[in-house]
Amino acid sequence: MTTEASAEEGGAPRRAAYATNIYVGVVAAVGLCLTAAAIRIDGIVIDATFWVMVLLAVLAWLFGSVEVDAGRVGLSFTSIVLLATMALVGPAGAGLVGTVLGPLQPGRTPLKAKIFNTGMFATMGVVGGTAYRAAGGFPGGEYPEGTSQIMRHIGMPVLIADVVQLAVNLVLIATVVRLSTGLPMRAQAGRLLGTSGPAHLGYGIIAFILVVLWGPAHLGSASVLLILPPLVVSQWAYRQYSEEVKGHERALHVLVAAVEAKAPHLVGHSARVAALCASMAEHLGLRSQVVADARVAGMLHDLGLTTLPTGLVRSTGVVGGSGLRGYPGRGVRLLQGLSFLSGALDAIAHHRDAVTPGPDHDELGVAALVVGLADEYDLLTEVGTPDGALLSDDEAIQLLRRTPAGREDLLRALGQALSRPAGASP
Amino acid sequence: MSPILPRATSSRAWTVLALGITVLASGIYADTATLREQLQLHWLTVVVFVAAITVGELFRLRMPSGREAAPLASASALAIAFLGKIDGEAPLDVSAGFVVLVVAAGLLLAAAVRGARGGSVGLDQVAARLVGVAVAAWLTRGVAPRGRSLWDLEVDPTVLRSVVALGMVVVAAVGIAVEIVLSSAVRAERQRTPWLAALRDEFGEVAPLTFAVIVSGPMVALMAPAVGLLSLPVALFPLAITYVAVERYARNRVTYRQTIATLSHLTEHGGYTPGGHAERVADLSVRIGRVLGISDRDLRDVEYAALLHDLGQISLVEPIPGGATMLAAPSDQRDIADEGARIIRHAEGLETVADYVEAQTTPYRLVRELGEEVPVASRIIKVANAFDDLTGGRDDPGEILAANERIHLGLGYEYDPEVVEALAVATADTTVGRVGEPETATR
Repeated sequence: MTTEASAEEGGAPRRAAYATNIYVGVVAAVGLCLTAAAIRIDGIVIDATFWVMVLLAVLAWLFGSVEVDAGRVGLSFTSIVLLATMALVGPAGAGLVGTVLGPLQPGRTPLKAKIFNTGMFATMGVVGGTAYRAAGGFPGGEYPEGTSQIMRHIGMPVLIADVVQLAVNLVLIATVVRLSTGLPMRAQAGRLLGTSGPAHLGYGIIAFILVVLWGPAHLGSASVLLILPPLVVSQWAYRQYSEEVKGHERALHVLVAAVEAKAPHLVGHSARVAALCASMAEHLGLRSQVVADARVAGMLHDLGLTTLPTGLVRSTGVVGGSGLRGYPGRGVRLLQGLSFLSGALDAIAHHRDAVTPGPDHDELGVAALVVGLADEYDLLTEVGTPDGALLSDDEAIQLLRRTPAGREDLLRALGQALSRPAGASP
Repeated sequence: MSPILPRATSSRAWTVLALGITVLASGIYADTATLREQLQLHWLTVVVFVAAITVGELFRLRMPSGREAAPLASASALAIAFLGKIDGEAPLDVSAGFVVLVVAAGLLLAAAVRGARGGSVGLDQVAARLVGVAVAAWLTRGVAPRGRSLWDLEVDPTVLRSVVALGMVVVAAVGIAVEIVLSSAVRAERQRTPWLAALRDEFGEVAPLTFAVIVSGPMVALMAPAVGLLSLPVALFPLAITYVAVERYARNRVTYRQTIATLSHLTEHGGYTPGGHAERVADLSVRIGRVLGISDRDLRDVEYAALLHDLGQISLVEPIPGGATMLAAPSDQRDIADEGARIIRHAEGLETVADYVEAQTTPYRLVRELGEEVPVASRIIKVANAFDDLTGGRDDPGEILAANERIHLGLGYEYDPEVVEALAVATADTTVGRVGEPETATR
């Protein structure tokens, strides 16, 4: 998709915010000036083609884009509309359509981001349209004939314009992120390229189909009606998919509810441990997949309890409770078949080992240590022993120091996770 | 593996198969004179399309219900029905019969590969697809009101392209509709589902995909005069994106079901319920639901509720002997159902499932006498659960008969007569109510 600036970065220092504002203003001004210059130099014909493209831009806004898998995006019409306009109308037309696209961003996009996007899309339209023309593309309204000519004068230019448009997009976005958060530009651009690069190639092909149907195949604006159904359907499918993923996440809560039905004294425990685990993993600088695994492992670490006799679970505290030994393994056996949980199983299996002094605990995975520490801390300070005794923070930390998970870095991460206000974790 | 030929009792399947063979035979008969010549002239076009149809058939899309679709093959088959001028090739000026032969070659080649791999072949479904394409090809090339067919208009540059496009889309829609009607007729017969319910599901689940297929075929034919045979891979690209999106969605549905199934294992691992009980009850409930004509969308909730119907036992201090809730005291049954529903309600989006679980213990008598609202899903689960408690999952004919008789004793008092009747149909024949191959039924 075309990456859009969507949110204000919280907590940025005042100076950074100032620099960002200036940058946003510059981008907007550059975009508008380029569009004006293109109209002046190249001219523009405001005909039916132009208005159909504007209509498509509005449609792109109506359908929006779907976020799937933490930012990896299914489909967005914006790039397709821009590319098609470059070929069918020209750089000036693409600049104007880009200007329209900016304010039409979906959802609750803040004003500053809308201004930035207006400038960015206009720049992309004019620069991409110029690249299209430079690569051999015909001016709007004229079309080549024959397969080889079409590949040479439509296929190639669309591909090049696509790459140029993506490059402009990446540079402008990476700069705004650099200014507002201080993250290095190169890493940002690389990450954006990895997530949206392949999709862009696809948009190039769709734009190519639209242009060929419109021009050489003499279909005109009816070509839009042919190309829309598959796009709308994939949009629909991705939306369904993202709904399903959310539903699936909620279904995991039923597993937690089953634990809590079995052991009423653990109500709230799983959710607290999950939040602590995710936060600790982040503070330890672990990869996002490991963070996600730690969170799920924290959430489901007690699942094995559900297979034990109810009376036993309710009468025995987990802390030092000898009767409950082996429940982590039972939990793992329950979850074994679930492929999406495979990364969390090791942590669930060994989270008790992480806080049980003994030999052979050197090779414990970091996720197991994190879950073990978070679990034990919460048991000591929030759940308490069966007789209801709760420890203070300091007493708990002193106890935890003597366990395999009591490493300095882990305890520091625990401290940071505890001091971070609730709800700040993703 | 489902049989290559339909079973002797499947009269509709045989009819569809006979239709397909007739279409194929008439194609061969009409074209024997010119076939050689045409093949020499159009060999590249034929090879490309046969390959596309074969590959599209092999990469079928398995929908969450287990139903299969081959969007890329369908679109390719429709495309060759419409194909006129092709840049770099001779215009495809052939009869509808020739198109039928090309499509049949692709479909049968794919069927042979699937058969060799030990997969299902299902010739009746192949026949349904062939008949659908034949109708589209005939409407395009054979029907000529006022002396001009749609194909003649297509190759006439003075005719407005959007008119041609509209004609193609309409014809494609008719062809697809024929295929869907035929294949749902066969499916309805095999599953013992009412035909209308099968038709609704057949169309409903893949409806968005079907729209994409209907426009993709014409798109290939309209691009061919400009970019030649390249139009096939290029114009099918948007459909391929759709394919990937739908495939992901279907795959996620499978993991979702796995999670729900894991919940049903909690009571089994804890020794509260016998192993496999929940899966069997779910399987039987879904099949009964199909016999009763419940839509796929609702069947999903039926399946989840059936998987979770014993979840409430998890907090019992003393397990019920054998986990058989049917034999437990009514008040205990209700408590278990309420507890299960309470746990399920922790997840947003599963409210309907929770309602079904909660109402599963209500005797049918209360529906009849007091007008109490009990969802049909709950009545199905009640019957399926009782059946599995009685048979313990054994498929010995004597036990099945005994269980059916025992449940019949509670007819109208404990159980809904309609559901009990559907149970008798479903337990008399293990293929009833199953979609596709057995592997999907035991998902």
